[in-house]
Order: sequence, then structure tokens, then C-alpha cells
Amino acid sequence: MPGSRHSRFASAHDVELCGFAATGERRAFGELVRRHGSAVRGVLRRMGAQTAEADDVAQDAFLTAFERIAEFRGEGTFAAWVKKIAARIYLRRLQRDRRLTLMTAEAIEDEADPPRGDADANIDLEEALKALGEAERLCVSMCFGAGLSHTEAAEALNLPLGTVKSHVKRGLEKLRTRLAPEDGVVLEGRRGNG
Amino acid sequence: MAELEFERRLERLFAEAPELADAGAFAERVERRLDAGWTARRWLIGAAGVVGGVIGASQLMVSGLFQRVETAGDSARLLSTSLNHLSTSTDWITAISSGGAVVWVAAGLAVIMMGFVLTRVIGEI
Repeated sequence: MPGSRHSRFASAHDVELCGFAATGERRAFGELVRRHGSAVRGVLRRMGAQTAEADDVAQDAFLTAFERIAEFRGEGTFAAWVKKIAARIYLRRLQRDRRLTLMTAEAIEDEADPPRGDADANIDLEEALKALGEAERLCVSMCFGAGLSHTEAAEALNLPLGTVKSHVKRGLEKLRTRLAPEDGVVLEGRRGNG
Repeated sequence: MAELEFERRLERLFAEAPELADAGAFAERVERRLDAGWTARRWLIGAAGVVGGVIGASQLMVSGLFQRVETAGDSARLLSTSLNHLSTSTDWITAISSGGAVVWVAAGLAVIMMGFVLTRVIGEI
């Protein structure tokens, strides 16, 4: 009875759903897509993908995840795993269309001071990300949104590790000036996850 | 310390992705693509099975397997007769080999084995 199966899946934990999906149960995987689709599409949009492209890539990422569901060991969350897959697929698209080369080249030349934000203004993340160069936005989103380490991001982008770190550092500096501080904390520093 | 706080805040902001209005429709599109993929796969396996079966059957016909089976049956009968001459206590050989039964039993087992292997392969795919 399809209705009861759907309700059973709706109350199941992600790990259980992955187990069902591993046996070929597509409705269980559909429940996972229902739960985490928005998050995956959101990360892709924040990486700079247009709405339609983000949806295409997210669909491909979920299909890939279904094919490779047996590889998911439950070490992290399912959403984090699919986000990484989606980020890599998006990067491959950029490389295939030669958009990535242009993007990183432009970013290296772009050394202008970031526009200063009003610290009291509560600017959301989407708006703040618009202040970043494309490569900075990509690197920051990959590391903080898709959960890739600097090394993984460098490998995926086919860029030297130092270049990725520079993009992330500059991106964080710009974001810090755009995002209103929480509880009046003065924010400085950088990420160093290798 | 402050840098870590900012990074954690940024990770939180990234994690707080709003639920998109068409989340259900998106999930249905993915499910449809999954279903389409499985249907195509089933058709592909079925078509491959039919083609393989036709090729196998035609090869059997061409190679004259059925004549060979009859010959093997005759040989088995001849062998059992010879053995009967040697010893009257080997009645079981006569029972099995009469009419080429051995050959047919072996062929049946081979078909069952092939079916089992095919089932496993489809399961693995």
C-alpha cells in the first residue's frame, strides 16, 4: 500500500532511509530528497549557480548518490555527503564549459578593497556573498557550505592549495565586513583546516 | 578565538538553508528520473536476455547438438549394455544411462545454474 509506505518513510531516520535505498527502495530515497533537496540546491546557488542550473546539478547529485548509496557509511550526515557530490559535479560543469578558468583568472586580478558594510545592518548571507569575487564565493561556499577541506577544494578546482587559501581568506575578510557581528563580537582571523 | 566563532557562525548560516517552496516538486522530479532509469535498465536487461537466448538457440541448432545428444544416448546405452555384461550388480548405471537421461539431467542442471547466475547478476546491477 503506497500511502502507508510513504508515512513509514516520513517517520524514518536518514540512516534507515539510506538502508532502504541501498536495497533499491526508490520511495525511501525520495523521502531523503524531500528532506535535503533545498539544502543542496541552496549550497549550489550560493556557489554561484543560477536557479535552473542549481536544480539540474542537484538532481544529478541525488541520482549519483542513489547509485553510490552503498558507499555512504554514515560517518557524516547524508546531506553533507550529497552536498559534496553536488559541489564536485558543479565544478566539473564549470571546468567542462571553461568557466572556471575565466573565473579564477578574473579573481586574481581583482584586488580592489571590498565595499565596507554597515556593522549594524543585518545583511543576510546571500547579500553578503554577492560582494565576493566569483572564485572567492566559490571557495568559501565549497569550504563552509559543502564542507570540503581546503585540500579537497584545491583538488576539485585543480588549483594550488595556497591559491584556494587566499581566496577563502579574502572571501572571509569581505564577509566579515558585510555580516553584522553577533552579540557585538569583533571578528577577525581565518580558517586553517588544511 | 574570534576567528573560530566567525567560522562557526558562517557554517551555521550556510546550514540554515531555507526550505524552498517547490521542495516537493523537486523530489518528485528526482523520483521520476530514478523510476525512468530503472525502467530503462529493466528493458535493457530483458532485451539483452532475448537477444542472447535467440543467439544461443540458433547456435545450438547450427551445431547439431540434438543429433549429438542422440548419439550420446546411444553411446550410453551401449556402455550400459557392456557393463551389464561385465557385472550384473551394476544395475544403477543402466537405470541412469537409459535413453540418454544423464545428458538431459546435466543439461537441466546447467539451465538451472544459468538461471541462478542471471538472477544474481540482475540483483547486483
